[in-house]
Amino acid sequence: MVLHCYFHSLGHSRSKELKGNPITFYADIVNAMLIRATGQNLQMEYTRSLKLLDHVKLSEKPGKIIPSGDIAALVYLWNPFTIVACVGLSTSPIENLAIILSLYGACKRQAPLAAFGWVIATHLSLYPAILIIPMILLLGYGTDTPPRKLFLQRRNVEVGDNPPNDRCCEREEVVHRSEVPHVFSWRPVIHFFCWTSLWSVYVLVLCGISVKQYGGLWELFKRTYGFMLTVQDLSPNIGVLWYFFAEVFDFFRNFFLIVFHGNILFMMLPLAIRLKHRPCFLAFVYIAISSMLKSYPSVGDSALYLGLLGLFVNELADMQFSFFLFCGYVGVSLLSPVMHNLWIWRGTGNANFYFATAMAYACLQIILVVESVSAMLNHDRKLRKPLTELQDGKN
Amino acid sequence: MAESEAEVPKAKPRPIVRLGIFLISHSCLFSVICCTAGVLTLLLLPVLAKNTYISENALMPGSANPMFSSQEVSEANRLVKSLTSLDSKPVGSGIESQRLIAEYMSDLGAEISYHKFYPRSNQFHPLHFFSYPDSGSTRENVSCISHGLNTVGIIRAPRGDGKEAIVLVTPYNSLKVGPGEALSLGIAYSVFSLLTQVTWLAKDIIWLVADSRYGEYAAVNAWLRDYHMPVFSGLSALKAEICPVSNVHNELKENSVTERKINDGFRRAGTMATALVIKVTDGSEHFEDSLSIYAEASNGQMPNLDLINIVNYLAVHRQGLRVKVEKMRSLINCKWLKILGEILQSLGHVAKSLNPQWKFGIPAKDYVEGAATLASSLYYQALGVPTGPHGAFRDYEIDAITMEISSRVALNNKARKNDFLLRGGRLIEGVIRTVNNLLEKFHQSFFLYLLTSPSKFVSVGVYMIAFALLVASLPVVAASLYADAHKVDPSFGIDKSTPQASATDELSITPRSCKWLNAAKKVFLVHLWGAVVSFLPYFICQIPSCTPTTSFVVWVLLSSFSLPILSLILGSSFSYGRPSQPQKRDWTLLKSVTISAAFIGLCLMSVINFATAEIGALLMVPMCLMAQPLKLDIRSRKLRKFLRVACNLALGFLGFPPAGFFVLKGAFEGFGGITVGDFWSWLESIWSWSSATYLYIGWFERTRS
Repeated sequence: MVLHCYFHSLGHSRSKELKGNPITFYADIVNAMLIRATGQNLQMEYTRSLKLLDHVKLSEKPGKIIPSGDIAALVYLWNPFTIVACVGLSTSPIENLAIILSLYGACKRQAPLAAFGWVIATHLSLYPAILIIPMILLLGYGTDTPPRKLFLQRRNVEVGDNPPNDRCCEREEVVHRSEVPHVFSWRPVIHFFCWTSLWSVYVLVLCGISVKQYGGLWELFKRTYGFMLTVQDLSPNIGVLWYFFAEVFDFFRNFFLIVFHGNILFMMLPLAIRLKHRPCFLAFVYIAISSMLKSYPSVGDSALYLGLLGLFVNELADMQFSFFLFCGYVGVSLLSPVMHNLWIWRGTGNANFYFATAMAYACLQIILVVESVSAMLNHDRKLRKPLTELQDGKN
Repeated sequence: MAESEAEVPKAKPRPIVRLGIFLISHSCLFSVICCTAGVLTLLLLPVLAKNTYISENALMPGSANPMFSSQEVSEANRLVKSLTSLDSKPVGSGIESQRLIAEYMSDLGAEISYHKFYPRSNQFHPLHFFSYPDSGSTRENVSCISHGLNTVGIIRAPRGDGKEAIVLVTPYNSLKVGPGEALSLGIAYSVFSLLTQVTWLAKDIIWLVADSRYGEYAAVNAWLRDYHMPVFSGLSALKAEICPVSNVHNELKENSVTERKINDGFRRAGTMATALVIKVTDGSEHFEDSLSIYAEASNGQMPNLDLINIVNYLAVHRQGLRVKVEKMRSLINCKWLKILGEILQSLGHVAKSLNPQWKFGIPAKDYVEGAATLASSLYYQALGVPTGPHGAFRDYEIDAITMEISSRVALNNKARKNDFLLRGGRLIEGVIRTVNNLLEKFHQSFFLYLLTSPSKFVSVGVYMIAFALLVASLPVVAASLYADAHKVDPSFGIDKSTPQASATDELSITPRSCKWLNAAKKVFLVHLWGAVVSFLPYFICQIPSCTPTTSFVVWVLLSSFSLPILSLILGSSFSYGRPSQPQKRDWTLLKSVTISAAFIGLCLMSVINFATAEIGALLMVPMCLMAQPLKLDIRSRKLRKFLRVACNLALGFLGFPPAGFFVLKGAFEGFGGITVGDFWSWLESIWSWSSATYLYIGWFERTRS
């Protein structure tokens, strides 16, 4: 599989060397490798928790559990969006690199790496700042597992059940039980915060030195984060904000800016409560939402969350509307350049033509997020089902 | 709503979900109704056409009295006479006529410049559609021997700021000036001479005398390209190096007319608001003087409807010319169309008798004519090849039409000729004066429309209904097939699994929703093959010294070889050795994926070029809906099945020949490099066909195996 993966990335590299843009290209390759490592980590955890929950048949069947890391890496590398963003010399592969680096570091529970990734990602594109919640959860609880209630339930079942005198098995159980992350461990989180403050001070100092003659840090913030938050550039992109803020009256502008950005923040907390046992998936949902609502979205952002979606291929296998979503993505990604051409170059269309595709794209993203979250919750329910049956049988 | 079938409808689902389920469960009936309705609406379009109106208020057509008088007519006659006398002289080379015209122009006080161009071989660029027109023109491999020479005269507007211009184009063959061409030059010259004197001019006037030795389109296109792409000194020096002989030639000519104020460089006059191409033909009309309007530009683009409206209004109401647009002559004598027209007429009468407010009936004759015009309008838009030199302007977002004025009798009679010149000149003066009133670009009226007569049109909102009805059945059928495939599946799964394992099987990770990935891979492969096949001509074109036949054979061979190679690379096999149940399920999924791909493709094409999409939909939708695996049908020997097989084969055959025909035509015209300035648009249109048609070949191939 590794060979397969490398073969593909080699093919990928060849297709990209034609354009000669080494930095973004290498960033993409590193991204894919990090995604793969993260995926392997997640998968190990997944099989382990399945074993703990006694779905032994499931976990042992060969071919039943798909190597999600490889899939995700391949999806990321071969995604036309990634290729387009890379060939177009977009900086999004580098932003993606920072995000993935922080996720990887958090999965491996390496607080310095996670902190570094998070600080750089926030510095580069600001929106990854909301990833701090999944980071904390990841460092505190560990990677994605089924809900903790299930483990407790399982233990109750075991306690009620008098196991046959199979000592070695019991010992294993004990060992496993001790491994189950029940409590929030504060140590790595505090480490993370220390490292975060260290890295951010470091980045700020470096920035301060380099922009001293251009007006200092405040000017930097105004020109970068302020530019992102106040949506000053209204040139058309695949998002919906440019059209909206071109149309809106000036005296409502601030209000709607707050509404749109508040939208992301409002969604954070409920999702964090509901999905706290799956911090990686939570990070995916956050990235998808922010790439939908951010001020200047690009296809590179979609490439990132589509790649991360591949990480959960085992859990999301039963997702509804997958075919519809696929068709929609293909259709929109073909239609939107045509509409742009019709508007800008041929002059027979107008802005509404292009905006229609942007709206369709936003709707597709919403459906994707909603469906993936519901599929994930359904998956958790399915895991609980045999346990409850077992318990009912006992009672 | 596609997958809502999967939900168990215990709790009453929402109405929209129920509607979706209803549609999906009755998809067969629904698709038949939709297709019929789509075809019917298409046939009804001539009835639904609206009268044109002038949408832009600033235009005010015909509000001023024409200033064009008999004095200008005599000017025109002078030019025509000297041109014909020049033509009768045997020594007169191509240069002579241009010099003559330039002399006449400079007598009027216009700025004159020559534009030398080299005819370029038509090249197909795969990404032409998305790039700026002719951005890749730096790579010139032209022969220095043959070049054309356009003469350009510019009048600066007394009231303008030189930011805008109106273009008059008169194509003529500089080697042999025909009588019609001489007359068109005469009309343009007389109008030009009038415009040098008027005070109301707010836009500059450019008169382009295009040298149509190498085709009218090529000359105009070359001039437009140079107009919009400034050539810097370095490049021109390079050019001079390449072609020293002709440059010397040019200088010689300039020396011969040194006393005139002829400018060496390229003259420009701001952005062009409108371009009018003027042509004259004579002696072919039976009834009265008439004016033919040609508007179709490359790739089915049309100029703004207001421009056609102005010309139509001025020609009919001011000059009394009969305005025509192209129509399909074969359809006028069509019997079934006549019958349909009569039915519609009687229906209209019935409706009128029921309620006098309903006035949708039109006479049968009008209907037939409208249908013929509509058909030709669709045909030319679908073809994507411009119908005249005006097509070059549309690539630069300039609205342009060709006005072909033809007289009733041969113009030997002097009085007749003068009258004809007067009317033609007044018409053009009127159009220019109206466009001169325009404050901004044409934007008010429609760009997307079909003409059913010069004064009637079908707008995008109306003709899209026909297309939408035709296409609407595709997603519904795809959804129902997809749902079917899922229904077939669980029963199959339960058959094999033991009851005790069912608990874990339920949460088994068989990627239920990802089964379509395999089918999608296959469809992608076939589409890729289609794309490869349609891009092959570009590479074959690069092979030097190739006759059309050999290159065609090479193309066929290469394309047939490329499919196995592609399937080998992507590692998907076309062989099936499994039981029939999963095969059937695979088939259903494959069909569903194919239909959705066809739907996306058709929707995409309808945005790019509506007419192509409409014609493609007419062919493809029945094919998509009827297609069935041959093998399964043949196995079960029933009459109904047999009928279906026959239907399929017939449709497949029907679907293929047009593609073959198009491909053949495209191959010969493109490889021969005859005229097609838009080989790419040919291929583009062919591509949308081919990818679909190849799909069918793919289908039949794998269903037979």
